[in-house]
Amino acid sequence: MDLFANLLLGFSVAVSPLNLVYLFAGVMIGMVVGIIPGFGPSAALAILLPVTFGMNPASAVIMLAAIYYGSQYGGTITSILLNTPGESSSVASTFDGYPLAQQGRAGPALVMQAVASFVGGTLGVVLITLLAPPFALLARSFGPPEFFLLVVMGLSTLVVMIGGHWRLGLISALIGFALGTVGVDLETGNSRFTFGSAELIGGIDFIPVAIGLFGLGELYYALYSGLHVSGSGGIVQYQKERRFWPTRRDYAESNGALARGSLLGFVVGVLPGAGATVASLMSYSIEKSVSRTPQKFGKGAMAGLVGPESANNAASSGAMVPLLTLGIPGSASTAVLLAAFVLWGLTPGPLLMAQKPEFAWGLIASMYLGNMALLALNIFAIPLFVQMIKLPYRLLAPAVILVCTIGTYSVNGSIVETWLMFGAGLAGFFMKLHGFSPAALVLALVLGPLAEQSLRQSLTISRGSLAIFVDRPVSLAILCLTLALVAAGIWAHLSRRAPPQD
Amino acid sequence: MTLSKWAAALGLAAAALAAAPASAQPYPSKRLDWTIAFGPGGGNDIMSRTLISILEKYKLYPENIVAENRPGGSGAKGWGYVFAQKGNPYHITSTSGSFITTPLQANTPWQPGSFTPVALLAADDMLLVVNKNSQAKTLQEFIAAAKAKPPSIGGIGAVNIDFIVPKLVSEKAGFTFSYVSFNKQGELITALLSGALDAAMSNPGEVLGLLQSGDMRALAFSGKSTPAALGKVPTFGELGYEIGISLPRGLVLPPDVPKEAQEWWIGTMKKVVATPEWKAYIDKQLLTEHVLYGEEFRAFLQKTQGVFGDILKKSGAIK
Repeated sequence: MDLFANLLLGFSVAVSPLNLVYLFAGVMIGMVVGIIPGFGPSAALAILLPVTFGMNPASAVIMLAAIYYGSQYGGTITSILLNTPGESSSVASTFDGYPLAQQGRAGPALVMQAVASFVGGTLGVVLITLLAPPFALLARSFGPPEFFLLVVMGLSTLVVMIGGHWRLGLISALIGFALGTVGVDLETGNSRFTFGSAELIGGIDFIPVAIGLFGLGELYYALYSGLHVSGSGGIVQYQKERRFWPTRRDYAESNGALARGSLLGFVVGVLPGAGATVASLMSYSIEKSVSRTPQKFGKGAMAGLVGPESANNAASSGAMVPLLTLGIPGSASTAVLLAAFVLWGLTPGPLLMAQKPEFAWGLIASMYLGNMALLALNIFAIPLFVQMIKLPYRLLAPAVILVCTIGTYSVNGSIVETWLMFGAGLAGFFMKLHGFSPAALVLALVLGPLAEQSLRQSLTISRGSLAIFVDRPVSLAILCLTLALVAAGIWAHLSRRAPPQD
Repeated sequence: MTLSKWAAALGLAAAALAAAPASAQPYPSKRLDWTIAFGPGGGNDIMSRTLISILEKYKLYPENIVAENRPGGSGAKGWGYVFAQKGNPYHITSTSGSFITTPLQANTPWQPGSFTPVALLAADDMLLVVNKNSQAKTLQEFIAAAKAKPPSIGGIGAVNIDFIVPKLVSEKAGFTFSYVSFNKQGELITALLSGALDAAMSNPGEVLGLLQSGDMRALAFSGKSTPAALGKVPTFGELGYEIGISLPRGLVLPPDVPKEAQEWWIGTMKKVVATPEWKAYIDKQLLTEHVLYGEEFRAFLQKTQGVFGDILKKSGAIK
């Protein structure tokens, strides 16, 4: 069978001693890159690009791809321990990961996130191996109308994100939408709310806002509540007697979330423009809405951690599909990989896999090994990371501020973004104090501009006619799916007869 | 004070005197600071690093070259930094599309013409591509169909050559179109593949694989001559729609540097563009070789920015 021959070829490339060294170097760098807040895989890939010039393309891509998916593992560690997302795609992992750590369950949370990352990443590679061509077909049927409807589906999850205080949640989301309008109006080219500043032409980046809102906001709140002077010190009550390994119940609670997260993540990852961040946020709200105990979400629900975690890793696998089969980058990181393909003398496109099977299949095979290596690395490193939360807060707090500042500055070398992060930190503190929803703000900031752009693109193409959303089969299908989901949500809500909140 | 310290002090004094060309030492005799106004891995970065490796390989620059990425504000930060080094011939920077467009969008203290021009080396030119299912096999057929029903044409950004090229063609041919602006290449290409768009403007390098596989068809190229890898695609000029502008990939020095430094760089770049390494770079990136030196480059920059400014003001994108 072709598949076996291809995989065999792939493993024969990936298992060569030199390529194994590059693979391990890649996963190690990826972990570290993931842990540093702000500093993300796309920046790391761009910096390491020149190193790969003299290398064999297969070795080079094995290493660079390992950095990319490795960073999805590392990014969650600080989400759980410090409420500071290492990457934009691990923001959703703070929602329940940090509460788990606060309850002294940092060990199980970290182990479960590693397992979830492994399951998501590996299932993603399995799907690439078996079903890359049909998924490529899906990717190429996604124009602006389909994309808009997908984003609307994502936005409908805002209802879940907003939480109990719906008025405050709504205001949070509106702030997010408002921030999303800063920058050049994509359609007309007019500058919106940039005040003549060149720094704001590109809009307000998501990363400094997320680090500020979650990481610094939480830190300020901890200082406000006097954690740094209360003698016991640690950021969270670390209880030795608590088990380090997840319980059987943790696994049982996570099974469904793992499967749903992986599948959703992969599909969203395949679609250009959406990516791991959107996948993980969507997964979180889906888990919350299907859960039988949604009231536990945000207070340390294991499913709320493993869902997004498997989703963001599966998305990073999914992003390889359009990259390898169409030569289309779905995210900033895969755009750097695409530039690298050209520098190595390859022509990305539909013929790549046929013309350079050892390159494409070598990469795919290496991803199986890389995910295993990352799981082992994580399990091995977790006891070390858990020590971190035993540090006295008065030592930890300045270190976290320092790392956040350097991380944010390093992304674009922008002092404006660094100030933005500090501003978002203060905002995050007050939001937490008064019960606003930073999660809704972040979701709106990510999805708002995407919704605006794809809606305006669709209507420009159709010259103002809404028929474009039902004329195209794929968009009609998504529309029906969204309506079904909303109807199911309302039905569930009515049948549960939840007591009115607020 | 040792002799070398004296020399350093003298050099500093000479730099401080700015336009005074009476430096005792011949140019160049000091370390060169090379500003890349974008992050690593992008088109501008790759060109700069290619040029530096050629300069080093052939020992064309006698001292060290330090490349520094100074990204931010769509190039405003890096180019603003070089602009502030008035009269100092030991700073240099490479240009790209934002060199034209950023000053149109934001209040930068500099304009493309403010710098001391060295050379235009290559041009980013655009390809008009359609989906394989499109009725149009040639540009003429595309224009004929466009006159009957205004097409949608996609491109990256509204303040960009992606919009300028079809606008120039449509004005000359007498049709209208809806321009659909995208943020990222991936979204643009899938929009075309999905059949949502009638056509798209793209850099040739980004769609080469899809052209080779037959998923897309190229109708015309906006440069002076079509890169060999694209085969027999005609240029807009050959079909009677001369474009005449393109995004400049070149080199500039800070304003008011001594004449001899500008001359030295023009002479050196003449050697660089003749190397096989430079040819390989042009081929791999599917750029159009387009070489202009000194004042001719400045005139090109000003003309290009003029065309951009006129069209974008008319369309309401800028004020």
